[in-house]
Amino acid sequence: MARALLVTIRETRAYLHDRGELAFSLLLPIAIFALMYGAFGGESMFHGTAYVVNQDVDGAYSTRLIERLDELDNLDVSLLSWPEASAKLRRSDVLLVVCIPEDFSARLTSGWPTQLVFRQRGNGGDEGQIVASLVRGVADEISQEIQVERQVQRALVGKGIGQEKIQTTVQKLLDREREFPIVGVSEETIGTGVDPVYQFLPGIVTMFVLFSITLSARAIVEERRKGTLERLLTTRLRVGELFVGKFLASVSRGLLQTFILLALAYVVFQIFTPLSFIQALVVALFFAAAGSALGLVIASIVRTEDAASWIAVFFTMAMVMLSGTFFPIPEDSILYTIGKLSINTHANVALKTVIAEGGSLADVGLELTILAGVAVVGLILSRILFRVVPGSNR
Amino acid sequence: MAEVFLVAQDLHKSFNEHKAVNGVSFTIHKGEIFGLLGPNGAGKTTTIRILSTVLDPDRGDVTIGGYSIRDNAGAVRSLIGVCPQELALYAELSALDNMVFFGRMVGLSGREALAQAMNHLELMGLAERAKGKVNKFSGGMKRRVNLAIALMGTPELLFLDEPTVGIDPQSRNKIYETIEALRDKGMSILYTTHYMEEADRLCDRVAIMDGGQIIAMGTPDQLKSQIGPPEQVTLEDVFLRLTGRTLRD
Repeated sequence: MARALLVTIRETRAYLHDRGELAFSLLLPIAIFALMYGAFGGESMFHGTAYVVNQDVDGAYSTRLIERLDELDNLDVSLLSWPEASAKLRRSDVLLVVCIPEDFSARLTSGWPTQLVFRQRGNGGDEGQIVASLVRGVADEISQEIQVERQVQRALVGKGIGQEKIQTTVQKLLDREREFPIVGVSEETIGTGVDPVYQFLPGIVTMFVLFSITLSARAIVEERRKGTLERLLTTRLRVGELFVGKFLASVSRGLLQTFILLALAYVVFQIFTPLSFIQALVVALFFAAAGSALGLVIASIVRTEDAASWIAVFFTMAMVMLSGTFFPIPEDSILYTIGKLSINTHANVALKTVIAEGGSLADVGLELTILAGVAVVGLILSRILFRVVPGSNR
Repeated sequence: MAEVFLVAQDLHKSFNEHKAVNGVSFTIHKGEIFGLLGPNGAGKTTTIRILSTVLDPDRGDVTIGGYSIRDNAGAVRSLIGVCPQELALYAELSALDNMVFFGRMVGLSGREALAQAMNHLELMGLAERAKGKVNKFSGGMKRRVNLAIALMGTPELLFLDEPTVGIDPQSRNKIYETIEALRDKGMSILYTTHYMEEADRLCDRVAIMDGGQIIAMGTPDQLKSQIGPPEQVTLEDVFLRLTGRTLRD
């Protein structure tokens, strides 16, 4: 077995000496992480823009509505002219525009009801629907305030109190109520949040480790092309030792790259505890072992590097699709059942358990056993299928 | 006569319907350079693969140093060194790293592998470039490293499959000198080449193969004398007379 380790060391040294490959393989996880950060690294709370066409320029109530919208933490207000808004809607630059009609303040002052108009493309999109809901909330609030003002005024008619004083006092009381509501809402977070990082990091890690399939699939073919395979097998190195050496090199490389990815996630997103980080690495190790062994099965039957790459890419894509890595698969579907055959599925479950649900390695014992089983069976199968040259018994 | 070190007996190997090796028998003595000549597709490479334990024969057997390739391939591998026709090197590693690695593969300790590697690189005139990466070497230097690797573990029988293909006369001459020095130290060598003057200079005996069979075998002079006075006939004349002038794929 010492010779197997020498093969691993040689492979690793070659990998470390090849600056191009080294840079690529180390920069790749960093690049993927940067993409992940770009996608998920900002605010996880909603933040949107209300596009408003205010035809009631200088109206008291329209001004109040716009100010209130602007005060919301998660909403910016962008004022547009009617032609601008129409053009943006036509180009789908915006999906929802709030229109304040010209007589908005006048009607409210006169005690008549009025309406805001939501002009939208389709259903306004997710952001449009949330913005519409926020605008409705603010409009309801203003509507209630107006009603309170009117009722107070009606109740104080003939008491010798000026209308302006009534309005100012009521407004102060309403402002205080808004600041310190009688019925408030507090938020309590139970467990970890449904952060997209938690949702997608396992999938990104498993997809990344699947690259080891391609790497190990090419490993034997490259040796064959160089002529070193035949030379090695005229030494005391046994085929089994060669395969174990290649396997360990592939696992090491996959684990190194995964370590970089997880470590960056640890530092930037702070989603790990030291224990969950180590547990995630252990899961990645088992998965890299299973992936590398499958790669060696491919390596043992193909004759060209192109064939090795294409078959490995096909397996990788199929496993990503079937495992529900990036989109859910209904549990009663045939795809879900087939997906159970994918090592990716089990690695995803295990990673989600230890990363997002705070589970321990004991909780993912079944998944780790399956991955270890695939690694062992894959290694044995690759050895059985392998022939040094056509017609060889070795 | 020196003792027989390799005995190949009635070797047969077919791939599908094609008989690549068809009843090949020969012996190699200790300290002898035995040339295996033949046109492309004659069966030389398949024969070497059988002798070097990469391929099992369909029929027949080979004993090397008393060990059968069928029953004791591991022991056979400890006696042989193989210099393949391709440059079977790790181009991204240095010459020294290549040699130490293959030295470890033939069972040397790290220290032994390092010492032997330096000796063999010295022998090949490459000591000063020991730490240079192989992918920066010239074709001739790569060929010399390819041969030096085959010497790791000090094998008793060396298989040299066209070791001088595509190199300059200086490197070729260095390889000739090395092979002759190895023979003088008692190493047995099986040598294949397409250069007939090379076989004539180096080989004690040659076998000419065609169609998977040995069609002639003897010393270069014995073969030459079959068609004329040895001093007026070349080995190439013999080769062409026996294998014909038809182009081979």
